[in-house]
Amino acid sequence: MTDNVCTQCGYEHTVIHRKYNGQRLCSSCFKKSIEAKVLKTIKKQKLVTKGDKVLVGLSGGKDSVALLKILNILKEKRIIELEAVTIDEGIAGYREEGVRIAVDVANELNVKHHIVSLNDRYNFTIDKIMKLEEKEEHPQNACTYCGVFRRQIFNQTAREVGATKLATGHNLDDETQSILMNYLEGNVNNMVRIGYKTEARDKRFTPKIKPLREIPEKEIGLYVLESGFEVHFDGCPYAHESFRMEIGDFLRKTTLQHPTIMYSTLNGFEKIKPSIKRDYMKNNTEKPNKTCIKCGEPSSQDICKSCSFIEKIHERLDMEE
Amino acid sequence: MSIILINKKDVKEIDFVENTKIEDILKNEEIPIETVVIKQNGETVTEDEIVNDNDEIEIIKVIYGG
Repeated sequence: MTDNVCTQCGYEHTVIHRKYNGQRLCSSCFKKSIEAKVLKTIKKQKLVTKGDKVLVGLSGGKDSVALLKILNILKEKRIIELEAVTIDEGIAGYREEGVRIAVDVANELNVKHHIVSLNDRYNFTIDKIMKLEEKEEHPQNACTYCGVFRRQIFNQTAREVGATKLATGHNLDDETQSILMNYLEGNVNNMVRIGYKTEARDKRFTPKIKPLREIPEKEIGLYVLESGFEVHFDGCPYAHESFRMEIGDFLRKTTLQHPTIMYSTLNGFEKIKPSIKRDYMKNNTEKPNKTCIKCGEPSSQDICKSCSFIEKIHERLDMEE
Repeated sequence: MSIILINKKDVKEIDFVENTKIEDILKNEEIPIETVVIKQNGETVTEDEIVNDNDEIEIIKVIYGG
C-alpha cells in the first residue's frame, strides 16, 4: 500500500495524488503545501507590501473562502489589514446561501465584512433584469450585466474602505482558460492584461491581485473541504454554455493525459508576455482615461458601461409599470 | 459485492468485482474525475483507492462545467 503514503511525512492516508509532480499528500501536508505555495506567490510576485489594506471579493464560493483564509495568515502576522466584500446580485435560491456562508467565514476569521446588494444600490436585481430579458428576441446573458455591476461595486467599495489592493480568487484553471481564450480569439489587448497583478489603465482603480493563480481549481475545492469550511459549491442558475466553459472542459480533459499542461500554459505565457507587451503596445495607444459624467468613475466613454446599463434598465422597468 | 454511490441527491447501489478502483467506478458512471473530491466512508481519498464491499462513496463536485 505504498500508494497511500504521504510523500512528505509518511502518514498512511493520502487525500491527493498530484500527477504533475508525483506527490501524494496527507490532509495536513496538503493544506500546508497550498498555504506555502500561495504565500510564496505573494512574496515572489510582490502582491502585497507591509501595511497594505487588502479587500477580498468574497462570494462564499470555494476560491474566495480559500483566499480569505490564506490572506488571514498575513493579517494575523500583522503584515496586512484585511477586509471582505460580498455582492448580493439578487439571484433567488442561489445567492442567499453564498452570502450566509460569506458572513460565517468572515465572522470565524474575524475579518471586517461589507455586503453590498444590487437592489440597495441600483434598485433592481439580476433576477429582475433577467425577467426583462426573457421578453427580448435576442436576450443578453446575466453575466453581461453581472460582470459590469460587480466590477463597479468592487472598485467603489475598495475606494470607500481605503483598500490598497483588491484580491480575487482566480485560480490556475481560470487563468489558463483566459490565456487560451484570448489566444484563440486573437484578443491581444485583453491577453497582455492577464497577470498576477492587474495593471489598471487608470490610477483611480485599486490594483487587483490574484494570489491563487498557481493553484489548480480542484485543489482549492479540496483545501476548503479539508479545512472544514462549509462552502457554496452550487453553480449559478444563469450560467450558460460559454466559450470559457468549452475551453475549461478541454483543458481539464487534456490535463488527465498531460498533467503539467496548465502550468506550462501559464509559465510559457508569462515568459512571452513582456515581448508581446513591448511590441504590441508600441503600435497601440490606449484609449484616453475619461470620467463618467454620471457616477464619476473612470471610464473610456463619457458614460461608463455600468451607468449606461442602469439607465436602460430603469427605462425598461418604468415601462413595465 | 456492492457499494453505495452518493452523488448529491442521486444515491445508488453499484456492483463491482474485486480490485476495482474508485477511478474505475467514476469512469463507468461517467463522472469526470477532474471535477470532484471523493469521500470513502466519510474520509477524503484519492481516486486510486480500491473499493470494498458495502463502502459508501460520496462524490463532491467542486468544479462546474464538463
